[in-house]
Amino acid sequence: MSGRAANIRRGLGLGLGWRVAALKNGFRDATVYRIEFISEIFGAAFVPAAIQAVLWYAIFKVGGATEIAGMNYSELVRYTLATILFTQIRGGDHDFELMEMIRTGQLSNYLLRPVGVIEFVYIRGVASRLLIAGICLLLGMGVGIWFGLSPGRMLGAMFLAVLGNVIHYQIGSVLATIAFLWEDAYSLLMVKNMAVSILSGELLPLNLFPEATQWVWKSLPFYLYVFGPAQYALGHWSHVEFARNLAIAFLWILFFWGAIRISWKWGMKTYVSVGG
Amino acid sequence: MSQVFWQDRLRLYGTVWRVQFKNNWVREAVYRMNFLSSFGVDIVWIGIELSLFAVIYSNVPVLAGWTKYQVYFFLGIFFSSDALFTIFFQRNFFNFSDLVNKGELDILLTKPVHPLFLALTRWMNVSAFFNFLMGIFIAVHYSEPAGFQGGARWLLLIFWLLVGLASAVLIRFAFAVWIFWTDRNWALLRLYYQFFAFATKPDPIYPNVIRYLILTALPFAFIGSVPARALLHGLQAWEYLALVLVLLGFFALNTMLWRKGLKRYQSASS
Repeated sequence: MSGRAANIRRGLGLGLGWRVAALKNGFRDATVYRIEFISEIFGAAFVPAAIQAVLWYAIFKVGGATEIAGMNYSELVRYTLATILFTQIRGGDHDFELMEMIRTGQLSNYLLRPVGVIEFVYIRGVASRLLIAGICLLLGMGVGIWFGLSPGRMLGAMFLAVLGNVIHYQIGSVLATIAFLWEDAYSLLMVKNMAVSILSGELLPLNLFPEATQWVWKSLPFYLYVFGPAQYALGHWSHVEFARNLAIAFLWILFFWGAIRISWKWGMKTYVSVGG
Repeated sequence: MSQVFWQDRLRLYGTVWRVQFKNNWVREAVYRMNFLSSFGVDIVWIGIELSLFAVIYSNVPVLAGWTKYQVYFFLGIFFSSDALFTIFFQRNFFNFSDLVNKGELDILLTKPVHPLFLALTRWMNVSAFFNFLMGIFIAVHYSEPAGFQGGARWLLLIFWLLVGLASAVLIRFAFAVWIFWTDRNWALLRLYYQFFAFATKPDPIYPNVIRYLILTALPFAFIGSVPARALLHGLQAWEYLALVLVLLGFFALNTMLWRKGLKRYQSASS
């Protein structure tokens, strides 16, 4: 019995070991090119926020509007500021990395190792996002106090944003399997990212969508990346609504977990390594 | 220099360009799925930009004095101008850093045509031609409700598209040329694309500081916004002057940086 228990403990330790190592590597990768890392964060935060701010400026300050979709200027600016925190978490190009591995045959190297390739690529790639999430959380909690935002809500919102990051990668992993069939799945991943830019709420609050088209973003998981976390952080969602959306996020994760298993099982049957 | 000399040079450059175009066309024809997929990506991009404004205009009737149809007209001009850049220059700028870092510029320096001509015209993305047509279609479709007078003024569209293309090339080059001084220009490239987002909206919607910036130091407004404004309402005299001065300034700056960069260039291939 004790031998079996030791084996299980060793097994668990091994499983955790490569994950921790991959995460550490990811952190190291993210922080080696510090200037680029910082410029990426700055750019990714600044541009969508600046575009939003410009739109509000044009509508309210130049156009003289007082309210759109039930929100006034200061509410929209607060939404924009909140989205700066969450747009940092949603990205990551590790699905492109998966696609490239399939396309070039590099996948073969990973198939020989005792690690799950999809999980490995994610853990290594997510390190930078976790680092950013930590910084944004501290920033959000600190600055949020001035705006009357609850630190507890900020924590919950950041957790939802991290779940959004998982879903984003899962969708990318499923789409990347197109590379098994077709040389270039790049376009599909690009289309997905473009759809995310508008349907996640990083460019506009999704409640600005006309009533007749609200179903579009509600029936996709993208709103959980930015719009959902921002709504909860700003107090527009009750705790019950947050819990419901958290459950929805987990259901999406479960759904895409199944989709990954099916698509990769199919993909591996058709895989022909072209690596040397 | 005699007129014959210039005619010969022009013929030489024309021949080189024609051969490169033919090579690129053949490559696109071989990778047909790639051809279709890049077309698809751009269609989605166009759709998303149009949707963004559709959502905004479902809430407000006018945005900084621009009606929905005027913004769609602007988008048509912007998409066409950007597609021209994509067709003729984008891939060359993607490969520009490799030319310097990997010493591939060596071979271009030995050719009997200007190395910059070869560096910037070698690769083309013919599939973006459909996006150009799509942009023109959008501009034409919304021209009347946007208040464009049409008729002979359509001829001005060619001029303004060329202004947009020249602006895009000059700005992109100003970001790319620093590769002579930096090992990786990835950060600058990202910065370029981040600022490029400002080109996707009409310039009157921006606050004065940003508007001044995108009309002078980072003239992204010249790609689509200023041409659309010029076609719809015409520009003020000082705006024409500013346009000429800014583009000439960028041309002079780029020429100087290219020459200084070449002096600094050390082949990496040996």
